[in-house]
Amino acid sequence: MSQIQVIPRISLTWLLVAQVLVILPHLSHLPLWVIGLWLGCAAWRVQIFRMRANYPSTLLKLGLMIATGCGVFLSRGSLIGLDAGVVLLVGAFILKLLEMRTRRDALVLIFLGFFVVVTAYLFDDSITAALYSVLPVTALLAGLIGLQQSSLASRPWDTAKLAAGLMLQALPIMLLLFVFFPRIGPLWSLPMPGGNAVTGLSDSMTPGDIADLSRSGALAFRASFDGEVPPRTELYWRALTLDRFDGRRWSQSSALNYSPSPDWQKAGDPVSYSIVMQPSSQPWLFALDVAETSLPQTRQLSDFRLQRSKPVERSLLYQVTSWPQALREPHGSSTGLRRALQLPANVDPRSRQWARELRQQYPQDEQLVNALLKHFNQQPFVYTLRPPQMSRDSVDDFLFDSRRGFCAHYAGAMTFVLRAAGIPSRVVAGYQGGEYNPNGNYVQVRQFDAHAWVEYWQPDRGWVSVDPTFQVAPERIESGLEQALAGEESFMEGSPFSPLRFRKLAWLNQIRLAWDNLNYSWQRWVLGYQGAQQLELLQRWFGRVEARELIISLVGGGALFLAFIALWLFKPWIRNGAPEQRLFSQFERLLRRHGIYRKAGEVPGHFARRAAIALPRQAPEIIQFYRSFEAQYYAGESIDPKLLRSQLRQLRRALPLRLSRLDRQQ
Amino acid sequence: MRRKLEACLEAVNQVLLGKEPQVRLALACLLARGHLLIEDLPGMGKTTLSHALAKVLGLSFQRVQFTSDLLPGDILGTSVFDKDSGQFTFHPGPIFAELVLADEINRATPKSQSALLEAMEEGQVTIEGATRPLPDPFFVIATQNPVSQGGTFALPESQLDRFLMRLSLGYPARGAEKALLLGDSRRALLPQISAVLDHSELAAIQAEVPKVRVSDALVEYVLRLVEATRTQPQFAWGLSPRASLALLAASRAWAYLAGRDYVIPEDVQAVLPSVVGHRLRERADPSGHGGSTLVQGLLREVTPL
Repeated sequence: MSQIQVIPRISLTWLLVAQVLVILPHLSHLPLWVIGLWLGCAAWRVQIFRMRANYPSTLLKLGLMIATGCGVFLSRGSLIGLDAGVVLLVGAFILKLLEMRTRRDALVLIFLGFFVVVTAYLFDDSITAALYSVLPVTALLAGLIGLQQSSLASRPWDTAKLAAGLMLQALPIMLLLFVFFPRIGPLWSLPMPGGNAVTGLSDSMTPGDIADLSRSGALAFRASFDGEVPPRTELYWRALTLDRFDGRRWSQSSALNYSPSPDWQKAGDPVSYSIVMQPSSQPWLFALDVAETSLPQTRQLSDFRLQRSKPVERSLLYQVTSWPQALREPHGSSTGLRRALQLPANVDPRSRQWARELRQQYPQDEQLVNALLKHFNQQPFVYTLRPPQMSRDSVDDFLFDSRRGFCAHYAGAMTFVLRAAGIPSRVVAGYQGGEYNPNGNYVQVRQFDAHAWVEYWQPDRGWVSVDPTFQVAPERIESGLEQALAGEESFMEGSPFSPLRFRKLAWLNQIRLAWDNLNYSWQRWVLGYQGAQQLELLQRWFGRVEARELIISLVGGGALFLAFIALWLFKPWIRNGAPEQRLFSQFERLLRRHGIYRKAGEVPGHFARRAAIALPRQAPEIIQFYRSFEAQYYAGESIDPKLLRSQLRQLRRALPLRLSRLDRQQ
Repeated sequence: MRRKLEACLEAVNQVLLGKEPQVRLALACLLARGHLLIEDLPGMGKTTLSHALAKVLGLSFQRVQFTSDLLPGDILGTSVFDKDSGQFTFHPGPIFAELVLADEINRATPKSQSALLEAMEEGQVTIEGATRPLPDPFFVIATQNPVSQGGTFALPESQLDRFLMRLSLGYPARGAEKALLLGDSRRALLPQISAVLDHSELAAIQAEVPKVRVSDALVEYVLRLVEATRTQPQFAWGLSPRASLALLAASRAWAYLAGRDYVIPEDVQAVLPSVVGHRLRERADPSGHGGSTLVQGLLREVTPL
């Protein structure tokens, strides 16, 4: 047991500190019992160090291990998957501290710690999380330094300072790797943690859903325009369309996914912009009408939305070009139009009746739409987040009785009436507007900007968008939800301390916008710096490059760099000493292969005699070489250097490639 | 000639049992025209060694017992008025012998010590204005007792530097001591030793030694050793150029004794402890006796190639 190298006090201290720092960012998603386990293990560890407690026995360790595994299984329902995996990893990290006895254990703990730090990015990849991780990494490095019995052993702050210095030195390498290292796609994919907890638009809508969303200040996406930001009233961000109505709920039809891409004609000036989208766990992307993107595995569905083959589980950056004045499906598609006329039977009789009356009054479709919009504008409709409960005939209730509702009510009711009047129409769900951030010249769109509007189809004109909410509450469109609800105080009801509620305080708003800008830049330039973007940047610097060329040049460049360092360190062009000396070094190397090393300060003669004794069969060659060496090197006899070389060659030939143990008589 | 040197060593070893390396070093010291300081406890054979060396090499021998009341005149000699001739005649002191044993040199006052040490360095003495040359093979063996330092005047570093080598005889091995106990008295053996070399032969050998070849590579090794003492932090001070010259001279003598006409690193390593041991001090303990451990460090750390 005397072989065990104990862990120095300073290292243990730093390891405990590092463990706190490593686990802190995980606290938000760890089950409570893991935290309990952690505190218990840390306390036990401290007691072990104070010699008040023993190390856990093998049986206990086994028990703890199995219990932790079972605990993870019970609280996460599985042992695999990222969520459970991370909990398991943190559990192992905690238990290893308790078990840690030797330097090797401490090293394992430190490397586990580095891994746990990285897994925290799966849950939070914001700039604050990245900056924070400097702390645990520094503490882990300090623990690593403390493990070495150096002169720092009794000076914890100097250890930390050295660790921080090392971190700083690693910075240029980190930046280089960040810029140049190719982003390799994952070899396998795992479901991302917490996917179902994201707030956002879903693929169906009851009027209350959007009202719920409006209570959330969470970010949906940010958009940077290449040119001028279009006026707010034109920022209708399409997410999806809802064309099935069951009397209560609007939802998207399943046929959409299989229908071919729609035909549309570009018209007017395009608008190009890039969007960084927060994870939504939904496959659709947000864009202005009618959008085109170069993002791979993304296509335009028949309702003009952009949809990816996989749900967006991580922040996603994509470039979009939109033609707001494009002509959408001027000829229509029979199935699409049929879907756009679907209505459930036997509900909302009053609305149907009213639609028939309108139809008789206005035979032209456009006239009818305008009359409907005028109706919303002139009748006492109220825009509110607190609509009354509806009965079974929700559209009837809304249109004729309560007349209080949210954008979803207006869009749903209008679509219902249009369909009942025989005009193909559908509800579009998405976001409207957004907050312009002058610091970074971009628009940020939050969940409370969620919106629903209507589009109807006309022969030759194609799909036309109208927004009934604009008729009721134009301030919603012109300046945002907060203004629209100014009298009601229902804006962001659920979060009284959100900075979004204090937008009227100029300085606070300034700070908030600046901070948001910083986060956005982080997302765009750091997190978003992936495959295509990286290639684009490198192409700007070095001309056209392919991913494969990049990898080759990276590896080659790295090898070249190391080769230069090696050249600089070893300086092979400086011939070290006389040719005899180099030959003697070869002689030494030759014998080293047979386990005969020249000791420090050992003179050549003694070494040669020792070698001759150790290798009796080759003794004559060894002695012969040494004699010539001595004569040439020390006695200054002018013997041809070739002689020495040839004698060395003889010795090499005399020596077998590998000696068996029996041949060597030490 | 070399066979005669071997015979010399053989003869001395007959008297001083089991001290071959020290005897060889002492002889090398003499061949390199250096002086020898033996630092050891009383009764370890310091006098016997000096006596035997003198005998074997056919040198005249004088012993001066250094005491605190010893005056320079007692070493160098004085002029005494001769009534008959009416002139002062010079009575040479013991320094005018070819091999002088200065016993317990650290018991004398610095004044008397320096009289001897000047003679050692110059090879001549100046008494009452007249410079008198010392005999040509002139070899001083000084001894000092490292233990009882009461009432002694330790030799300062500058004077230690005058000695080419410092040796320590050390206890004899068990077998050697047994032979010593069973055999005759050592002092009785001394008269039986006959001179192996005569003056001319010794002079010839002493002239040969500086001609022993020293290659560039070997000088590099010596330089590395000296540099190490000057740059490494554990040394209180480095070796002087006199010390590096001494090291080379002693190595040459050692190589000559080994029958070679060139020096190899083994020779340097063999003489290094005795040549530089008394010239080095540890930084941590500048007044102490750390020299020998420092030398071991040098042997280990400085690569001979």
